[in-house]
Amino acid sequence: MAAYHADDMLAWMLGDAGRGAVMTTFPMPNIAPLIPEMVVAAAAMAILLWDLFLPRERKHWSAWAAMITCAGALALTLKLAAGGPAQAFYGYFTLDAFAVYAKLLIYGGTILAVVLSMDYMKGEPHTGEYYSLLLFGTLGMTLMASAPNFVTMYLGLELMALCTYVLVGYQRDVLRSSEAALKYFILGSLASGVLLYGISFVYGVSGSFDFAAAGQAIAHAGPDARLAVMLALVFLLAGLCFKVSVAPFHMWTPDAYEGAPTPITAFMSIGPKVAGLVVFIRVLDDVLPGLKADYTTILSWLAVLTMAVGNLAAIGQRNIKRMLAYSTIGHIGFVMLGLIAANADGYAGVLVYLTVYLFMNMGAFAIIILMRREGIQGELLDDFAGLGRVRPGYALAMTLFLFSLAGIPFLGGFWAKYVVFIAAVEAGHLYLALIALLFSAVGAFYYIRVVKYIYFDEERVAFNFIENPLMQATVAVTAIAVVALGLFPGPMIAICKSAIAGVI
Amino acid sequence: MVPLSYYLAVAACLFSLGVVGLFLNRKNVITMLMCIELILLGVNVNLAAFSHFLQNLGGQVFIFFVLTVAASEVAVGLAILVAFYRNRRSIEVEDINTLQG
Repeated sequence: MAAYHADDMLAWMLGDAGRGAVMTTFPMPNIAPLIPEMVVAAAAMAILLWDLFLPRERKHWSAWAAMITCAGALALTLKLAAGGPAQAFYGYFTLDAFAVYAKLLIYGGTILAVVLSMDYMKGEPHTGEYYSLLLFGTLGMTLMASAPNFVTMYLGLELMALCTYVLVGYQRDVLRSSEAALKYFILGSLASGVLLYGISFVYGVSGSFDFAAAGQAIAHAGPDARLAVMLALVFLLAGLCFKVSVAPFHMWTPDAYEGAPTPITAFMSIGPKVAGLVVFIRVLDDVLPGLKADYTTILSWLAVLTMAVGNLAAIGQRNIKRMLAYSTIGHIGFVMLGLIAANADGYAGVLVYLTVYLFMNMGAFAIIILMRREGIQGELLDDFAGLGRVRPGYALAMTLFLFSLAGIPFLGGFWAKYVVFIAAVEAGHLYLALIALLFSAVGAFYYIRVVKYIYFDEERVAFNFIENPLMQATVAVTAIAVVALGLFPGPMIAICKSAIAGVI
Repeated sequence: MVPLSYYLAVAACLFSLGVVGLFLNRKNVITMLMCIELILLGVNVNLAAFSHFLQNLGGQVFIFFVLTVAASEVAVGLAILVAFYRNRRSIEVEDINTLQG
């Protein structure tokens, strides 16, 4: 490894302009690709302050501000993306098609989460803090999506994680909310530590935190570095698997999902998963390409375990939030087939899956929140009994979401599964695709059981719906999206493929 | 001069103490926070040792990021712990048992 000199340090800090000569100018780093992130950060801080000056009856303005910020940042990102891939801060931030598509999903997820929160959070104090934390969490996710480097990735990851810990425990006077936050915090911190330990070995082998440079060094590492490389692989995978809740690192998911306020559960089921999987793909593809045989074996076993745990444990649940938590674990198991395929088709499949998942999951959570009642809040499966007679519209939408989650043909969820299964088969993992098929049949059981409650059971408790036009519109839009993506999956699959094409 | 492997062994000890402590500890949650801190310190020793032996400053710069994040993590953790204590009137590990299934 090269010895470092003061010149190199200057060059490292300032780019090549600083090398050799006495500095006379201070080159301005290229910050243009970061403008959307800066807007989100500034807005998050502004909302925190602004909320203090809002009278009580206008507190919901913070929600509108958060929504407008996300929409604006999304528009700015798309505008910047039109100029082609860009880098900022000397390779510490990248804006390629892959990152842009991930940010589309992340901002979309946050906007929907804000819509779902507006009514739910009406009576809570300090709503400004809530929306500010949502924005900071989103900022962390977008940084993760744009990270070509372990430093940026770690900072984004922690920003996201710290915000979600607080949001999970947001209902301070509710025991299960603070308990969920405590459990999530302890296990999440452990996972960050494990991930960091892996990163330290990557650095030890390669002397670099850059994904591509580290990947080169690892691929060419000699036999005496074998132990360090293996430690790096195992700890990196364990840390990342925890963040996207792959079994056996999934223990926090059901508790955090059940205890969190429902809009936060919806928020956690999309954005962090998208950001985590983007980092996962970048790490597998850039840092560990030399270890493909090793990580394929590890991930295959984990995928089977994840599908089994997710789909089997969901059957026994009576609480729909907990059931959807296990369902998320099951879906992550299917998504892992795309990671195991480890080619452009597989990674595009991951993006297709996440796109469809955004709509069907957000729709299902919107219905759960619309059914909120004092104390019980529409969370038990029994509460859905008789929904078909009372509100045929909601019942139809919920049925569509559940069928799509189950992967019934010609709804969005079918194509999501189809794309990753085909990618796995073409990459030579036929047995894995067959196991996935088996578990998706098992999974269909507990989704369709809810449909049975909706249409064939008698109403047990009187319904008391929230009447909120914006949320009803969300249900309608997501339901239409699930059907439209099911009937015309072509354009979405093409966009996902082109988003991946520039990266791999 | 102390060889690199000695530093790595110390770091591995700190890291495993933290992880084992997290799982074996049945008493109270503050101990868990200390274990998390041990894990991060183990990582920092690792980074500093590699940074020195590779003659590369990157690792030491990264340590500052880790330290900063560790501080904010503990702040958030203690805040959550206080909220939990107010509801449960206890911070025994065994009392974290409302959510199950």
